[in-house]
Amino acid sequence: MKNMIKQVFHSPKFVVGFVMFMLVFLTVLIYPLIVTGDPLEMIGNGAFFEPGTYVNVDEVVDSQQYKLHIDAKSKKIEKDLDQTTRDDMKEWLSKFGGVEESSIDTKDTAALLKLWQDHYSTDIKMTGLTAAKQKYFKRLGDTIVDIVNDEDLSIAEKDKESGELKEKTKIGSNVFARVSSISNRKTFILGTDNFGRDVLGELVSATKTSLKIGFAAGIVATLVGLLLGLIAGYVGGITDDIIMFITNLFTVIPSFVILILISYSIGNSRRGVGLVAIIIGITSWTWTTRSVRSQVISLRNRDHVNLSKLSGHSMFRIMICDILPYIASYVVMAFILQISTGILSEAQLSMLGLGPSTAKNATLGLMMNWAMQCSAYLNGKWWAYFPVILVIAIISFSLNLMNTGLDQVFNPQLRD
Amino acid sequence: MKNKVKKVATLCLSMSMIASMLAACGDSSTSGDATTAPKATDANATPAASAEATTEASADTAKGSTPRNETLYFAGQQWKSINDWNPMSANSNNAMAINQVDSARVLIYETLFMYNMMDSSLNHLLGNEYKWNDDKTELTVTLNPDAKWSDGTQVTADDIKYTFDCHVKYKSAQGNDFGLYIDKVDAKDATTAVFHAKLDKAGKPKNPLKVEQYLTQVYQMQKAYLEKVEKRNDNKADKMDDYVASGPYKTMYYDNQKVVFQRDDNYWGQAKSMWGQVPNPKYIAHTIYADNNAGQTALTKGEVDVCQQFVTDVQNLWLKQKLPISTYIDEAPYGICTCMPSCFFNCDKEGLNQVAVRKAIAMATDFDQIISSAVSNQSPSFSDVPRSIMNPTDVEQNMIDKDSLKQYQWKNADVEGAKKLLDDAGIKDTDGDGIREYKGKKLSFKAECPSGWSDWNAALTMVSDAGKNIGIDISTYFPDADTYYDDFTNGKFDICMWSSSGAGVTNPWQRGMFYFSKDYAAIKKGNWSGNFGHYINDDADKILQEIPLETDAAKLKEYYTELSKIWLTDVPSFALMYRPVTFHIVNESVWTGFPQKDDGTNIPPTDCTDGYGIASLYKITNTTK
Repeated sequence: MKNMIKQVFHSPKFVVGFVMFMLVFLTVLIYPLIVTGDPLEMIGNGAFFEPGTYVNVDEVVDSQQYKLHIDAKSKKIEKDLDQTTRDDMKEWLSKFGGVEESSIDTKDTAALLKLWQDHYSTDIKMTGLTAAKQKYFKRLGDTIVDIVNDEDLSIAEKDKESGELKEKTKIGSNVFARVSSISNRKTFILGTDNFGRDVLGELVSATKTSLKIGFAAGIVATLVGLLLGLIAGYVGGITDDIIMFITNLFTVIPSFVILILISYSIGNSRRGVGLVAIIIGITSWTWTTRSVRSQVISLRNRDHVNLSKLSGHSMFRIMICDILPYIASYVVMAFILQISTGILSEAQLSMLGLGPSTAKNATLGLMMNWAMQCSAYLNGKWWAYFPVILVIAIISFSLNLMNTGLDQVFNPQLRD
Repeated sequence: MKNKVKKVATLCLSMSMIASMLAACGDSSTSGDATTAPKATDANATPAASAEATTEASADTAKGSTPRNETLYFAGQQWKSINDWNPMSANSNNAMAINQVDSARVLIYETLFMYNMMDSSLNHLLGNEYKWNDDKTELTVTLNPDAKWSDGTQVTADDIKYTFDCHVKYKSAQGNDFGLYIDKVDAKDATTAVFHAKLDKAGKPKNPLKVEQYLTQVYQMQKAYLEKVEKRNDNKADKMDDYVASGPYKTMYYDNQKVVFQRDDNYWGQAKSMWGQVPNPKYIAHTIYADNNAGQTALTKGEVDVCQQFVTDVQNLWLKQKLPISTYIDEAPYGICTCMPSCFFNCDKEGLNQVAVRKAIAMATDFDQIISSAVSNQSPSFSDVPRSIMNPTDVEQNMIDKDSLKQYQWKNADVEGAKKLLDDAGIKDTDGDGIREYKGKKLSFKAECPSGWSDWNAALTMVSDAGKNIGIDISTYFPDADTYYDDFTNGKFDICMWSSSGAGVTNPWQRGMFYFSKDYAAIKKGNWSGNFGHYINDDADKILQEIPLETDAAKLKEYYTELSKIWLTDVPSFALMYRPVTFHIVNESVWTGFPQKDDGTNIPPTDCTDGYGIASLYKITNTTK
């Protein structure tokens, strides 16, 4: 046994797969210990906040002001006035501002802004432009007013009784705040989803649920498959025929179709994590049965099995002690693949809206489902779906890698 | 070698799994915009008939292809294939042509008047003017003498009379509804039709509002054509593929991929007395998309000009993606919100028949969260427009006494208040499992709406979340649309969701009916009208009977305030958000000049097709010419 484990861990493929899987597994175990709280809490009031650190603006205003000799203004201008915006300004000035096109130099920021200030007015009718473009210029006008405004920003408080505004503080353009002295901070490493939930926390919780489903489905499928395979292969005869008939029946009907039908007929409200796992398990055992059976057939006439039979051992004991050890390595490999299949099946089911009931659990498939429903991929909200795809890919890739590694160790044909 | 094959196979397998998941998602959201009018029954049985309604279709237009720069493309109206062209049919599934609501779609068929929600006015179309007699028992409509059918014959009062008679005779939805309030229609002379209101025992008209609503809602049909159809079909249902109508467009092509209309260049409306011209787009086309995402993709690519679909963070289309796309208003809520998607409690269910339970759920719900995330701020918040049965437009908001309602409105996500309410009512968790019991039974409910209606699904998820916070188990249930329709129109639900009526001649009275009507509650099967949860309140019912006959503004204000009070106190239902009934997101790559807020035209943003909103088809211009 020890030797076997040693052998297994000498397979580079298995090791890589194992490390990847353990990384995911440990993250799932450890992360909730560090970051406590309900992973499904709708913390952001709004949908799809981008990844990043959010600081409390109220505290920033109240915090100590640091004046730095940095020209923040021009940096802001650079950000707001990129080349296309400058070209648009040129277009407006020459079309509606009555400025000669050749006299506009888009590279000279000061001159361009001056021209704009002199000629731009909201009263000028932009005939011939589409509404989208008109609105764009209106917004641009507002931005430029903001840019050229040299006045400090005043923060005022409203007097509770008189309702008057009282200036509290002034903020110049070169005033900075020290980020680490702001205590009210929240970091969303992967942003928030359509409900305003922290995607990372949800992802970890979802991975946990999906792994649970995968394990449970894998155990169910492997147990059913193993049991039927052992019986069919060892007993043979009419029992074998009946079991193989059923197995073949289930093999030809696409299991995903059965999965959909069962999930649908059970109904949304009764579909919990456990039940979904069992449903997946009982629809994906067929090929384990077939392979186990064929291996058992080749084993049942071996000398040691015959010896056991002559010694009067029971069928059950022969199966467990004389046959199972020979196919154990294969069963472990099948189990690993079943886990992977279980996780993928859950994801597929949830995306069709047939996964575990929605509000109480996060699963990888459900996260994808909501991301798709809210068109996250059309609107560039990559953080809502890409990490989920990545996690699914990592899990199934690592499991497959482990499987291939084991195969190389146990299958003499593949040994180098 | 074998190893390599295995590696490649593993990789391919993983990739194909992910690809299949992405493909599967396409099927999960097959709904249209959640706020569009109910599609009572879906296309079933009708194979995609590629019928040609017009005989003169030339060879190059045989497949329905039209020049891009002469075609106005729509999205968000038509889902699945069209069943028929019959305005009396219950399941036409023909959204582009037939939509008889407050602001009816007047591309093919026309109503007598067009409703304009901007100023609540009735604008002349087939009818020139209408006049009530003093006691509002007779409504006289004078027709436009220029109005002609597509076969060139004049629209006469006989046609108006026969249309009404047919609706009643064949028990269409319109006939069943208006037949209760309109006794008969008489043709006084060729261009004068008189509507006789049904009278109550006291000799007063039952509901003059409903008579007026008929003018803006019901399509007029030609008597000669109707008689022909009756004859050929032995009075049975007819698809009316060869319809005779009066509108500016006629069918050019339709199948399960698209529907195309062609302008009728002989349209009567080019007379000086009407528009003075034909509408600018020569063709109107609607590709039948698989889902919202497909429609949105087409919009961003410029393949769709006018889109009525909910788009999350719509402003990013122009702010971030810098596309030539705009909405009626440049800022949230981007359109005119006139209706209220609302949650109904089934008052027949044990537990939900308790005011405390209903109110606690409503109080604990985080509406700010719903508005900011489920509909990405495309609705005014309930702190901006406090709750009442009125929609957020100024016209309706001025019809209630806002100050006196303040004490009945609750603050957002008031979990503690809701818990206290339940505790005070003696509804407590006695067995310590975190779920309260009423009469020894766990409070456990299902909140239901169709799958794929993403904004509604998200909203109900938040109602479910509110339940979790106050010890009431609310699970979400999103079945396919047909199952849902069956559940909610037949009272087979715990908590369901549906949209109230928007703006129209009969509103806000109609909205009051939607929330309270005893008549609707009495409909045992197929109740699409309102009061789905069977809440009975005699005071409310009495007020609803008084309102249509009342003309005194002060008295009406009193009535609507009282209705709102009852609504907020007993909470038989509660609004989750405010939404537009119709709206548009336009891509101006090909067409420009769509209605904008404060553009001085007074054209409502009703998707360029509904009610007076069709005026925009005469205003838009081509940018490619």
